[in-house]
Amino acid sequence: MLRLKLFYRLMVRPLFREPVRLALTVLAVAFGVAVVLAIDLAGNAAAGSFHSSMETLAGDNDLEVVASGGVPESVVATLATYPSPLQISPRIEDFAVLVNSQQTLPLIGVDLIAEASRYAALQSSTESATRSPEPGADSLNHLTDPQSVWVSSSLNMHAGDQLALLINDRVYDCSIRGVYPDSSGGESAILMDIAGAQRILDRFGRVDRILIKLPPGADIDAAQRELKKVLPPGVEIRPQGTGTEENRKMLAAFRWNLRLLSYIALVVGAFLIYNTISVSVVRRRTEIGIVRAVGASRTDVLCAFLGEAACLGIAGAFLGLPLGRIMASGAVKLMALTVESLYVSSRPGSIALTPLSVFWALLIGVGVSVISALSPAREAMNVSPADAMAQGRREYIAGTHMRRDLLIASLLEVLGVIAAQAPAIGGKPLLGYLATILIIAASAYAMPALVSFLSWATSGLLNRLVGIEALLAARSLTAALRRTSVLVAALATAVAMMVSVGIMVGSFRQTVVSWMNTQLPADLYLRPAGDPAADRHPTISLDLTERIARLPGVAAVDRLRAYEISYDGMPATMASIDLRVLHSYRSSDFFSARPTEEVLGQLRGQNNVIVSEPFTYKHNVKAGDSLALSLGETQANFKIIDVYYDYASERGYILMDRDTMLRYLPDPAPSNLAVFVTQGASVQDVRNSIQAIAAGHRILIFSDRDLRTEAIRIFDRTFAITYALEAVAVLVAVMGIAGALVALVIDRRRELGLMRFLGASSSQIHKLILVEAGLLGFLANLAGLVLGYFLSLILVFVINKQSFGWTIRFHWPVAVILGALSFVYVATILSGLYPARVAARLNPLGVIHEE
Amino acid sequence: MRNRVFLLAVLSVLLRMAGAQYTTALPGYHYEFPRDHFNHPDFQTEWWYYTGNLSAADGHRFGFELTFFRQAIDRDRAKSSAWDIHDLYLAHLALSDLDGGQFYHAERTNRSGPGMAGISAIQKKIWNGNWQVQWQGDDLILKAYDDRFSFSLQLHPSKPPVIHGLDGVSQKAPGRGHASHYISLTRLQTTGTVRVGEKNNQVTGIAWMDHEFFTHQLEPGQVGWDWLSLQLNDNTELMLFRIRRKDGSIDPFSAGTYIDGVDHSVHLQASDFSLTPLGETWMSPITSARYPVRWRVEIPILGFSLELSTPVKSQEFSGHSKFAPSYWEGAIAIEGRRGPNVIKGVGYLEMTGYDHPMEIAP
Repeated sequence: MLRLKLFYRLMVRPLFREPVRLALTVLAVAFGVAVVLAIDLAGNAAAGSFHSSMETLAGDNDLEVVASGGVPESVVATLATYPSPLQISPRIEDFAVLVNSQQTLPLIGVDLIAEASRYAALQSSTESATRSPEPGADSLNHLTDPQSVWVSSSLNMHAGDQLALLINDRVYDCSIRGVYPDSSGGESAILMDIAGAQRILDRFGRVDRILIKLPPGADIDAAQRELKKVLPPGVEIRPQGTGTEENRKMLAAFRWNLRLLSYIALVVGAFLIYNTISVSVVRRRTEIGIVRAVGASRTDVLCAFLGEAACLGIAGAFLGLPLGRIMASGAVKLMALTVESLYVSSRPGSIALTPLSVFWALLIGVGVSVISALSPAREAMNVSPADAMAQGRREYIAGTHMRRDLLIASLLEVLGVIAAQAPAIGGKPLLGYLATILIIAASAYAMPALVSFLSWATSGLLNRLVGIEALLAARSLTAALRRTSVLVAALATAVAMMVSVGIMVGSFRQTVVSWMNTQLPADLYLRPAGDPAADRHPTISLDLTERIARLPGVAAVDRLRAYEISYDGMPATMASIDLRVLHSYRSSDFFSARPTEEVLGQLRGQNNVIVSEPFTYKHNVKAGDSLALSLGETQANFKIIDVYYDYASERGYILMDRDTMLRYLPDPAPSNLAVFVTQGASVQDVRNSIQAIAAGHRILIFSDRDLRTEAIRIFDRTFAITYALEAVAVLVAVMGIAGALVALVIDRRRELGLMRFLGASSSQIHKLILVEAGLLGFLANLAGLVLGYFLSLILVFVINKQSFGWTIRFHWPVAVILGALSFVYVATILSGLYPARVAARLNPLGVIHEE
Repeated sequence: MRNRVFLLAVLSVLLRMAGAQYTTALPGYHYEFPRDHFNHPDFQTEWWYYTGNLSAADGHRFGFELTFFRQAIDRDRAKSSAWDIHDLYLAHLALSDLDGGQFYHAERTNRSGPGMAGISAIQKKIWNGNWQVQWQGDDLILKAYDDRFSFSLQLHPSKPPVIHGLDGVSQKAPGRGHASHYISLTRLQTTGTVRVGEKNNQVTGIAWMDHEFFTHQLEPGQVGWDWLSLQLNDNTELMLFRIRRKDGSIDPFSAGTYIDGVDHSVHLQASDFSLTPLGETWMSPITSARYPVRWRVEIPILGFSLELSTPVKSQEFSGHSKFAPSYWEGAIAIEGRRGPNVIKGVGYLEMTGYDHPMEIAP
C-alpha cells in the first residue's frame, strides 16, 4: 500500500503536472499500437483470411481436379462412372461484372440437375417460385438458358428481376430465376447451369474444376492416387482448396512485408518512450536520491520507472485499440486494392477484432514501452544517494560514452552490411530485415556524435544567420546531448523510413515507366471492360478480333491469351503471344541481352518459353531449364530459352508462341489485343472505327499513353498503403518532438527565467525555442536522409529482390523526397510553437523565486 | 407399370412440355431384340427396372432394386453445349437387408452431359454415373455403388422377353396412345456380390427386369397404383397392377400377365384377378403414409390363391428431391396354393400414391 502511494507520488503525479507532454507520449504509443493493429487486422481481412471467391458455393469436398486451361469434360464422365462411391461436382468458374454497381462477382456454372438435391439454391428457388404467382416450373424451364442466373440473397434481388452482366466483352441482360441464401459470410456469386455458363462464356468442351467428395472416413491420399491413374496426364488431382492455399502462400510474403513496415511506427514510438523515461530519470535524480537514502532498494527504483513506462504503454495501447480498429477500415480498402491488382481476385473479409489481436496490441504496447524504458530505468537504479545531488554529472557521462557508442555504431554497421549480403531464408528476406534493424540501431548509437558535431559545426553559421538565439539553441541542444540524440534518432528513423520507402517506390515507379516506354510499341491496346485483376483474363470475341484486323489503317493485331495456372505449388500466369506480329515485342529486355528477334525466333512453333523475372525467383529456375507444364489434358516439357524483365505482375509469367499454345488449348479467343496502325494512318481514326464495330461489345481501348497512365495509376494505388504507413510514422515522430520540446522548456524553466531576468525579451525566448525545434528538425532530416539512403539500398536490392524478384534501377525521386523533408521540417517547427509559447509566457520573477 | 411415370410426368411439366413431337405407343409395334432392350428416343419416357431377391451362402437374404429412367426434355439438336439437356436421366438404387431389417436407398438425377448418363445400343450399356447395366452376350452385368453398400451381379435370362398387353401395347387409360410398350425379363438367374458396410456377401437368386417406353400414357383421375412381380417356384411368373382412382374405385385398365413354364404368356384383364390388402399396415415415420404390407391375390381362372408378406416393412423410397414422390417398393415373400398344390415364391411389390394423391397434369 505504501509502495503504491510512493509510486503514485513519485511517478504518476509528476506526469499529470505536464498534461501536454503526457498526452503526446501516450498518443505516440497509441499511434504505434494502432498502426500495428490496423495492419494486422486489415492484413487478416484482405489477405490472411484469403478465401478465394471461387470457393463460393464449393461446399466441403475432399479433392479437386484441375488443369491449365480447363479440364476436358470427358473427365467428368470418367469420374462420374468411376466404380467407387464419389460425389462429383463439375464447375465452370469465371467472373461477371454487375453493370449497375461495377461490382465484380464470381460467375459459377454448376450442374444444377445433378446437384438439385444437394443444392439449397435450387430448392429454395423452386420453393419461392411456387409461392409466387409464376409457376415453379419456370426456374427449371429455363435452366440451361444462357441468360438464366441465380443470385445470392445479399444482392437484394428477386426472382424475375433482370440483371445486366458484363461477361468477357459483352453485356447480357440476364433473368434472375431464383435467389439462394448466402451461406458463407455474405460472399455473393452469380450462379448458372453449366450449359448456360458454357454458352455465355463461349467456352465449350471444358470445365474449370471438378470437386470430389469421398464417402465419410475414406482415405483421401489413397483415393487421390487411385483417381490419378484414370486421369489424363495433364490433369491434376489435389486436395480441395489447394489453389486457395497457394494464393495464401503468395499473399503471405506481401503481408509480411507490410507488417514489418508497420513495426517502424512502433519503433518510432519506442524512441519516444525511451526519451520520456530518460527525462523522468534525469529530472527526478534528487527524488531518487532521497527515496534511496530513506531505504528504497534499487529494485524498487527500477520497478518504479518500468511501472511508469508500463502505465504509459497501457494507456497508449488502450487508446490504440479503437484507433487501430478505425484505421483498419481504411487500411483494408487499400490493401484489398493491392491484392486485387497485384495478386488475386478476392473480397476482403470482415475486420474481426479478436481477443487475441487485442491481447497482442496490449502486449506490444506495454512490451515496447517497458523494453524501451529498460535502459533509463537501469540508470535510475544505479543512481547512488550521494550522487543524486551532483547536477550535471549525467551529461558528462553521456559525453564520455560517445567514443564507445561510435565504436558500437560502426560494429553494428558492419554487421548490417554483412547481413544485407545474405540470401533469403525460406523465401523471406529475414536477414535483409535484420540489416535494416542493425543499421537503424547503428544510427541511434552514432546520433550523439553526429548531433554534437553538427551543432558545433553549424552554431557559428547559425549565429551569423539567425542571431544569438541560434547559438544559445545549439548550445542547449548539445548540453542535453543524450535527450537531443534520442529525439533526433526518433525523428530520423521516421524520416529515414519515409525516405527509403520513397526511394524504393520512386525507383520502382521510374523503372516501370522506362520499361513501359520500351514495352508499348503498339498504337492501341484493347481489353474487355471491367476491373483489371492479376488473375482474371476475360476474353475478347474472336469475330471482333478478326473484324478489327481487317479494318483499313490496321497494319497488324497482336493477340495475347492468358490463363491462370498453378505451377509447382504457386499460382502463375501462362500466356501466348502472336509471333507473326514481330514488332510488337521488338524492344523486350532479356537477361541474355540478345536481340529480341533472335529470342522470339526460338519460340516460334517450338516447345520453348520465356519467363518473367519474378517467375525465376519464385521457382528458382533460369534460362536453359526445363518446365513441365500441364495444358488441358496433356503434359508437355518446355525449355526456358530466356528470362525477360517484367514489372506488370508479381505472379510470374510464362510466355509462349500462340501457335504452340493453340496446339494444346484450342480456344482462340484473345485476352488482350495490341493494334498497330499503318504508317500514315490516323490512330484516332482507327480508334473510332474500332469503337464503331465494337458497338455491341464492352471493350476498353487504350492508346499507349493511356495505358501508361493507367498502369501508373494502378501502381500508385498499390503503394497507397505504404504512403499511409509512412505518414503515421512521421506524425508520431513530430508529436514526439512537440512533447520533448515541452519537456525541455519545463526543464529549463530556471535557465529560461534567468535569461528573461537578465534581459531577454519574451519574443527572444520564443525564437530560441523555435530555433531549437528547427535545429532538431534539421538534424533529424539530415540524419534521416543519410540513413534512409542506406535503408533504401537494402530495400531495393535486398528485400525487394528477395521478396518479389524485381530488378529495380535505383532512382532518386528528388521532388518527392524534398517535398517530404520540407513537410517534416515545417511540421517540426510548427510543433515548436506551443512549447515556445509556454516558454515565452514564463514569469521570470516567479521562476527565480522558486529557487 | 411403375410409379416413376408420375415423377417423370411432374418433371416433364417442370421442363419443356413438348409431347407433340414424340411418338405414342400404338398397337402393332414390331419388337426386335436386342434393339428394343435399349433406347427409344422418339418416346418421351422410358425406364429400365431391375429387382430381385438374393440370398448369401449363409442364408442371409437381400432384395435389390436398380432403376434407370429417361425423360425426354428437348429434341432441339441445334444446341452446342454437351451439357444441353435433351433427356433427364433418373436412377434409383435400393438394397433391402431382409434378415438385417434394413432398407438402404439412393437416387440421382443427371443429364447425359459429356457421358455421365445414357443408354448406348453400341456399347450395350445403360448407365447413370457409376450405376450401370452392361450386356455381355445374353447376360446382364449390374453394378452399383453407394457409400453404404454396393453390388455387382450377373443376371442370366432363363426365359425370352415377355411383351405385356395386347398387340404390343399395355393400355393404361382410354384412348389411342394412352399406353406403353412394356417388356419384361421375368426370370433372371442371378449370381454376384453384395457388399453391406465392410462385409462382402456372395449371393445367388432370381431377378426381374421391366422395360417400358411411352409418351403420356396416364390420365387425370388416376391417383396411385399397386404393382406386383411374382416369381413362383413352379417356374411361372405373374405381373399384376391395379390403378386406383380418385373416387376410390379400381380403374378398369388394371391388368396383368401370366407367364407359364414353357415361355407362353397370358394377358390378364382387371376382371381376371383381385388384389386385396389384408389390413396390416406400416406407417412411414417420414411421410406418414400408411402402406398395406399384407396382400391377397386371387386369380380364379388360373387357380391362384396367394398371400404376400414382407420381411422388412420399412421399404419406403422417400425422395429428398422436390420432384420425386415417395413410394413403397420392396421385396416380398409369397405363400399360397395353385389349385390343390402348395406354392411359394418371391417377388417385388410397389405401392404409390399413399402419402398424398398424385397429380397428373394433362
